[in-house]
This record gives sequence, structure tokens and C-alpha cells, in this order.
Amino acid sequence: MGMAVGGTDEYNSEINVTPMVDVMLVLLIIFMIVTPLLQQGVTVDIPRNMISPDEDEEIAKDTSVVVSIPNNGQFFIGKDAYPLELLGEKIKARMEGKAAQKRIVYIKSGVNVEYGTVVEAIDTIRKQDIDKVGLVADKKKEIEE
Amino acid sequence: MGMSTGGSSEGATPNINVTPLIDVLLVLLIIFMIISPLKPSRFEAKVPAEPKDDENVEIKPNPLTLVISLDKATKGIKLNQDSIGDSSDTKPLTDRLAQIFKDRENAGVFRQGTNEIEKTVFIKAPKTIPYGDVVKVIDGAKMAGSQPIGLQIDDLSD
Repeated sequence: MGMAVGGTDEYNSEINVTPMVDVMLVLLIIFMIVTPLLQQGVTVDIPRNMISPDEDEEIAKDTSVVVSIPNNGQFFIGKDAYPLELLGEKIKARMEGKAAQKRIVYIKSGVNVEYGTVVEAIDTIRKQDIDKVGLVADKKKEIEE
Repeated sequence: MGMSTGGSSEGATPNINVTPLIDVLLVLLIIFMIISPLKPSRFEAKVPAEPKDDENVEIKPNPLTLVISLDKATKGIKLNQDSIGDSSDTKPLTDRLAQIFKDRENAGVFRQGTNEIEKTVFIKAPKTIPYGDVVKVIDGAKMAGSQPIGLQIDDLSD
């Protein structure tokens, strides 16, 4: 900023926003990178555009048990794969001490997975004395009028 | 920004250029708007308890039970014994179920021992059918107001 040589008391009173914009852009980029990483578990092609599923914020909570089945015969809890035989134990351990109405296991299954695979998982789940499952599905976005 | 050299004018205008700030904030806002509607949702389904071999209790067949079965080859839907649409179009099923529940409401058909209308529906699908088709049927049944939805998981055909 070249000051005038005349000795007058004139200052440039504009705030330099460039550093602030820099910082915010960096923050923005950080968020853009971090948000996909925050996604829990494995990527599953769950049923989309369903009309009537109920919203349930419990699904996203760390404490709830979500069994993901991306492909036939693959079972994941969170990001860890388990064979069917160990799935029951793991679910049991994670369900310990939960109130009766919270004893629900969420199933995130891909649309092309055979129903038999899902049934195997449900069979394992009910052996842990759980009689409620939540089938995770995407709700169709409502078009605003 | 040209500073004046004459020293006579007090022309330094104290304007903050907020345009870049607003740009960034708007972008942030848009990102959050896209992320926030991704609330997870689910269908709640009940699973019957494991059959126990030592139980010799006679189970009375419930005439009110509705069983939706899916056919593997044709993907046709059957409500009890009647064919009704297929998994690509569950509207006939929804309409039919809604009609049944409405009739029951008018006739006052309650679930045994309660004062709720019996709206229990069971879903039976062969093991080799894709999960997506089953969920479509559940969606159709749920739309009609079925509650609870039970998944039959014993003695399914391949």
C-alpha cells in the first residue's frame, strides 16, 4: 500500500479479507474431505425411493447395532466383517444391558442381495432374543410444492 | 486503491468488501443443506420367535392373518391365495390391504385381547429372490397401514 508522500493523514480503511477467505476456504475443503469419512460402516446399496419408511435417528448412533450386508454371504458390523457364526455373539455383546424397547437390530442390505442371506442374518439375530429388526431404506425425497 | 496525493480530500471510504465472505458462507450453507436431509429411515419388522421342538402347544390358525407371498419366477404377489400385482407394481396390493383394513375398522375387528384393529401382515418370500423386491412389497404393505409387519423366516422355499 503506497502511502502518499504529502504527509496527509489519510489511511486506507478497508479491511483486508483475503486471509479470512483463505482460512474459510481451507475449512471448507477440510469439511468436504472429512464428511464422507464420517459415514459409518461399509457402503451398501440400500433400497431407495421408498415411500413409507419411518425416520429413525437411532440408526446413525454409535450405540445401535447395524448389520450391513453389501453382498451375498458378507456380514459387517460397523466396518468389520464377521462370519455368520460370530455375528450372533457380537450382536449379543453389543446389545447387553439395553432396554427392552431398544432391542432392535438394524439391517442394511443391498438390493441385489439374496433374501436368503438376509434371512440367515435375521435368524442369527433372533437367536439373541431380539424380535425386532429395522430394515434400513432410503425415503423418497418429498418434492416441495 | 489510489491514495490521493493532494491531501485536501478525506476520500477514504470505510467500506468492507463482504462479497467474498458471503460467497464462502453461501457455499457452506449449501453444503449443509445437502447433507442434513439424509436422515436415515427404516421399516420395522417383527421376527417370530424360534420354533421350539419340545412345544406341543396347538396353535389355533388365526383367520385374520394376512400372508403376502412372493413368487420367485414371476415375482407375482399373492395375498393369502389371491394373486395381486407383482413386485414392480405394489399399488393393487396397497389398495387391497387398505380396503381390508377399512372394512375391519367398520366391522370392529380387533386383535385378540386388545382394542386395536388387527393389521398384522406376514411376508413370505423365497430365499433366492433379491432383497430389493421384498422391501418393495414391505413398502407397499406399510403404505396401507399394516402394523406390525412380520417376516417369516422358517421353511422358506428356494
